[in-house]
Amino acid sequence: MTYTTRQIGAKNSLDYKVFIEKDGKPISAFHDIPLYADEENQILNMVVEIPRWTNAKLEITKEEPLNPIIQDTKKGKLRFVRNCFPHHGYIHNYGAFPQTWEDPNSIHPETKAAGDNDPLDVLEIGETIGYTGQVKQVKALGVMALLDEGETDWKIIAIDVNDPLAPKLNDIEDVEKYFPGLLRATNEWFRIYKIPDGKPENQFAFSGEAKNRKYALDVIRECREAWEKLIKGEAADSKKIDLTNTTLSGTPSYSASAAAQVPQADKKPDEPIDKSIDKWFFISGSA
Amino acid sequence: MSSALRRVAQTASILKGRALGSVTNGSKYTKNFVQYLELPNGEIGSYFHDVPLALDAEHRTINMVVEVPRWSNGKFEVSKEKDYNPIVQDVKDGQVRFVHNIFPFHGYIHNYGSIPQTWEDPLVKSTHPGVQGLKGDNDPLDCCEIGSQILEMGQVRKVKVLGSLAMIDDGELDWKVIVIDAEDPLSKQVNSLKDVETHFPNLLSSTREWFRNYKIPAGKPPNTFAYGGAYRDFPETLSIIQGCHDSWKRLLFMENQNSKTPNAKRAGKGLVIKPDHAPDSTIDPENDKWYYI
Repeated sequence: MTYTTRQIGAKNSLDYKVFIEKDGKPISAFHDIPLYADEENQILNMVVEIPRWTNAKLEITKEEPLNPIIQDTKKGKLRFVRNCFPHHGYIHNYGAFPQTWEDPNSIHPETKAAGDNDPLDVLEIGETIGYTGQVKQVKALGVMALLDEGETDWKIIAIDVNDPLAPKLNDIEDVEKYFPGLLRATNEWFRIYKIPDGKPENQFAFSGEAKNRKYALDVIRECREAWEKLIKGEAADSKKIDLTNTTLSGTPSYSASAAAQVPQADKKPDEPIDKSIDKWFFISGSA
Repeated sequence: MSSALRRVAQTASILKGRALGSVTNGSKYTKNFVQYLELPNGEIGSYFHDVPLALDAEHRTINMVVEVPRWSNGKFEVSKEKDYNPIVQDVKDGQVRFVHNIFPFHGYIHNYGSIPQTWEDPLVKSTHPGVQGLKGDNDPLDCCEIGSQILEMGQVRKVKVLGSLAMIDDGELDWKVIVIDAEDPLSKQVNSLKDVETHFPNLLSSTREWFRNYKIPAGKPPNTFAYGGAYRDFPETLSIIQGCHDSWKRLLFMENQNSKTPNAKRAGKGLVIKPDHAPDSTIDPENDKWYYI
């Protein structure tokens, strides 16, 4: 199975959209890519939204048929994350697990907070920089429970199965062994990344500690089950998420014709990013 | 006036009040890439010798030649070998050189460059207190610009001197002068190392860590520092810059230049080079790897 991307518009513009295609046909990045690439070995498909060391806040949209990746906006303006010293942009390949949902209707018994209404986030730590719309196979190693403005926002820590270090990484303690300081940096990054925008520091559940692989696989399973209810139309409130899909023929939102509605590829040269995004913010006492 | 003296004096008149440009030949990230200084009269000049130091001790400013923009990896530098000292990418074992990413940093963490009309003399032992007996690394003084903008390779910027770090690389003295762009919004508020710590907390210690470790992935030992790694203040840095400017003047007068002495050819013959800019070459994804020290 080969996944490709279909880009419309220029990167760093409001028109930018990246659809994921399977065998050349647009599919939903949220609903049509199987979560498990190899369920027996717990190898998962991840959709890369944001490549490491970049700033544009790109994400799978919930509001549009087939859920292309677009750049988040705020008050009509493109959103970029700030660089918080010593970090540059995002410090992982950042993305999401397809066919998962952090259900906002349900309070998690341990974090005591509701889901953030998004697909489950993934931080891929391998050495290669990914690209927007890439579907890569990853191994889950652990999870951190960010409480972002009061909502549970799990961050699964994973590594590309093709990374040279992947065979040596099997659980969360291996991350500290082979990537010393990365978990601490990840914790710091998510705590402070909204401070330059005038927001308070984020909090983590479990005193900021990363949970192990088993815990991560449980979180993934729960979010998978929540999504299954969502796609079957059984969620308490589907929060206006566009559920259009092209592969799940038993679901109410299945559409054989949705792919044909997607415009042809129309990739334009990248728009320049405003120079203000290059600024480094020094947050006292963060390191 | 001797011809050498005339050569020292000449650029002031050529440069006065006008912008400097650059001329690029070859594809970036290949051995053929060169970026020359273009003087306002259209002729090619030397980034080493024809950009004035422009030391203003009262305002603490000098000129800087930008070699490497922040967050990039290509090791670009003013060539000592080529006529007119264009910016080229350093080559090692036949390959263009990139610095490794040292976790948690990405590429260079400053706009990195050199101070024109300065030279760290490799022939003479320093008499400066604390680094006596050490010889220079044969390069112009290096500088690290800490402002908020990413600067461009080949730009000449007016920067304010804040302090310095005395790195010792392979037994050679290799000063790193800490500066901020004179036009940076914070420039007026940042006048000392203490101000750097206030406005850029942890940047100075990270800078030292970066220079200590950056060659370790290439199999080299950590770099060391004179003064136990302590930063030197503005007055002391000023005397280092003045000393290296004097060394540079000696370099221009030198009779017995050998193959290692920097090329001292300067503008004045009206050489014109046309731009011949090929698209950038791709960088091996190998250079995206993060090294954990």
